[in-house]
Amino acid sequence: MTWLVWRLHRAQLYIAAALLAALTVLLLVTGLQMASQYHSALAACSASHSCVNLASTLFLGSHAVGFGVIMTLGVPALFGLFWGAPLAASEFETGTGQFAWMQSVTRKRWLAVTAGWMLLAAAAWGGAVSGLVTWWSGPDNALQLDQFKPGRFDIMGIVPVGYALFAMALGLCAGALLRRTLPALAVTLAGFIVVRAAVTLWLRPHYLSAITVTYKLFSPFTPTGSYWQLAQGIRFPGGGLVPAPNGAAIDGIPVGSLPQACAAAASGIRPGPSCRQALAAFHGFIAYQPASRYWAFQGIEFGIFAALAAALIAVAAVVLLRRDI
Amino acid sequence: MDGRSVAPPYLQIVQQVKQALQMGVLDVGDKLPTVREVVAATAINPNTVLKAYRDLERDGLVEARAGHGTFVRRRLPGPPPGTHSRLGRSLARWVAEARQAGLDDESMESLLRVALQAETEEEIA
Amino acid sequence: MIGVQAISETAVAIRTAGLGKRYRRVTALSDCTITVPEGRISALIGPNGAGKTTLLRLLAGLTQPTTGELTVNGGIPRQDPAFLASIGFLAQEIPLYRRLSAEDHIRAGAHLNPCWDGESVRERLTTLTIPLDRAVGTLSGGQRSQVALALTLAKRPRLLLLDEPVAALDPLARRNFLAVLADAVAAGGLTVVLSSHLVADLERVCDHIIMLAASRVQLCGDIDTVLDAHQVLVGPRKDTAAIERDHRVVQITRTPRQVTMLVRRNGPVIDPAFQASDVSLEELVLAYMGQDAPPALTQLTSIGDDQ
Repeated sequence: MTWLVWRLHRAQLYIAAALLAALTVLLLVTGLQMASQYHSALAACSASHSCVNLASTLFLGSHAVGFGVIMTLGVPALFGLFWGAPLAASEFETGTGQFAWMQSVTRKRWLAVTAGWMLLAAAAWGGAVSGLVTWWSGPDNALQLDQFKPGRFDIMGIVPVGYALFAMALGLCAGALLRRTLPALAVTLAGFIVVRAAVTLWLRPHYLSAITVTYKLFSPFTPTGSYWQLAQGIRFPGGGLVPAPNGAAIDGIPVGSLPQACAAAASGIRPGPSCRQALAAFHGFIAYQPASRYWAFQGIEFGIFAALAAALIAVAAVVLLRRDI
Repeated sequence: MDGRSVAPPYLQIVQQVKQALQMGVLDVGDKLPTVREVVAATAINPNTVLKAYRDLERDGLVEARAGHGTFVRRRLPGPPPGTHSRLGRSLARWVAEARQAGLDDESMESLLRVALQAETEEEIA
Repeated sequence: MIGVQAISETAVAIRTAGLGKRYRRVTALSDCTITVPEGRISALIGPNGAGKTTLLRLLAGLTQPTTGELTVNGGIPRQDPAFLASIGFLAQEIPLYRRLSAEDHIRAGAHLNPCWDGESVRERLTTLTIPLDRAVGTLSGGQRSQVALALTLAKRPRLLLLDEPVAALDPLARRNFLAVLADAVAAGGLTVVLSSHLVADLERVCDHIIMLAASRVQLCGDIDTVLDAHQVLVGPRKDTAAIERDHRVVQITRTPRQVTMLVRRNGPVIDPAFQASDVSLEELVLAYMGQDAPPALTQLTSIGDDQ
């Protein structure tokens, strides 16, 4: 059974291996360049004690490669589309299921071996790409401290493996249900995008309760390391939210919301002591996930997608085993 | 195997074997083709061949030896083998001669009928 | 349903009782009760849409019945390696992996089946000069059929279910195909059910018949027995009520001067006015297929038709 899986899909596996090799070369070369670029910049600024602004002045690597790395967001979807969807759908569409499932292997075994190897392949490829990107992003992460942010969180660590498993399982399940490759492709792509977007936007912020810190306006609080900012703003003394500044602002408060005492400051005069006293009643707040929770969040999101993958495989199994061929 | 013949396939096999015996193609002790050989050559049902061979066995013409095949046991009653082919050849020569003389099929048939009748009348007489 | 059943003291390869398959609004097969003894080559005949493919898929276990029961090779069709190994199913579309070669399929079979005779496939295909190393999709329809049949036989099944295997073949390829099949049965231990439209082919190689029409079984039995049980009666145009009462009239044709009936006899027909003759398989099949709804009579009037 394993031999048949290999023989049927070896072309795809060769192509994927070639693409992975190309990506490896590209990221190895540029990654090493970026690392040395970073370390020499670091050495330079340490000497002149001006490292504070390094993050905003130094741009590592090239825009093109950077863009390519962001595009690895789509890699898991490719597994679902090109490996997963045709797997069961083609057996129905071309009728070869009547050959495969009338040999002396049960459909259960067919599914177990086929899905097993394909999931393993998806996880391996997804993990390899993720590993490469994580290594490549080392200097950038140290510089920008933004690996917890959506968009970067999704392409590093272990979550890409979870996405790959999910996409693969989604493709397989769609193919088993719809029995036609093109509709299965459409459903897989749409499903992948919708679920990923929903999890990123609505679930991920709440895996663990966000930490909210309020601070006085004149002593702002910034969390350390690569934290993930969920919300930030200023509240009136009464508790209401100050609208975001749109033009002229003092200490982050738009002129329209300034207290009476600061009316003079609004027209450009330096705020006087009464204004400062009025502003002291305002509070800033920041809701965030601390950097220390990065791996917890990676683990939870991986778990979610792995569980989804398992559920989809179970559905595919029921469909394949019970329904008429 | 004549697809248009009304006789069932197994009878056709029986007839063909008997014909072969008459023509001298098969003689006592010769081995008949195996069921599988017949089947492979003609694409007919093996049971049909078996039935035909069993019929021939019942008539005493062949006998089945376990593990070795089916063998011709005795000749058909009637003229010795080769007679049919010999007479067939001389008949073919007569037909050619008659054709050259200008006779058509019907005339030849009526000649044969007359000859048979004459022979019968001779026997009665 | 009255069927001409083969009285079998021999083992039975297929037995069904009241088998039926209904899709949402369509009944593909209903009230199907048949018996196929072991060692037979059975012809599954019927017009398009009569339920032939459905019956074969039910027997293979690719589909579950909605009513009735069936036993195949002594068991119920199920997802079980032993059962799957004992049957071979060849669908009409010749389901092979088009990008794979015949040799690839042979190797796949070796991995997927416990007793697999790959050598027999290579031998057969070489004899037929079919290349083993070309993608199967590049072969002709007839060659693909031969590959698929050889692969199905290599499983060494006890029962072979073939759905219109010769439909796309030229006469020579058909003959080859049927010869291979008959040879495999002659070697022993194999029962075949083969569906087709071409009665002439089936008459040579088959010794059992299952006839479906309007999704029901019309005939089921050994061909010799079935042909014996039917007769064509030709006689002057007169009252045929007596015959119709005692026997089952399958087809009746009246001309101004005479009447021709194809009957399934219920005992001997004793009516001196009628001349009885045997019926060929092709005539019998056509007569049953021409019926609209069993078991009602179909009256055909042909104008000026002198028999």
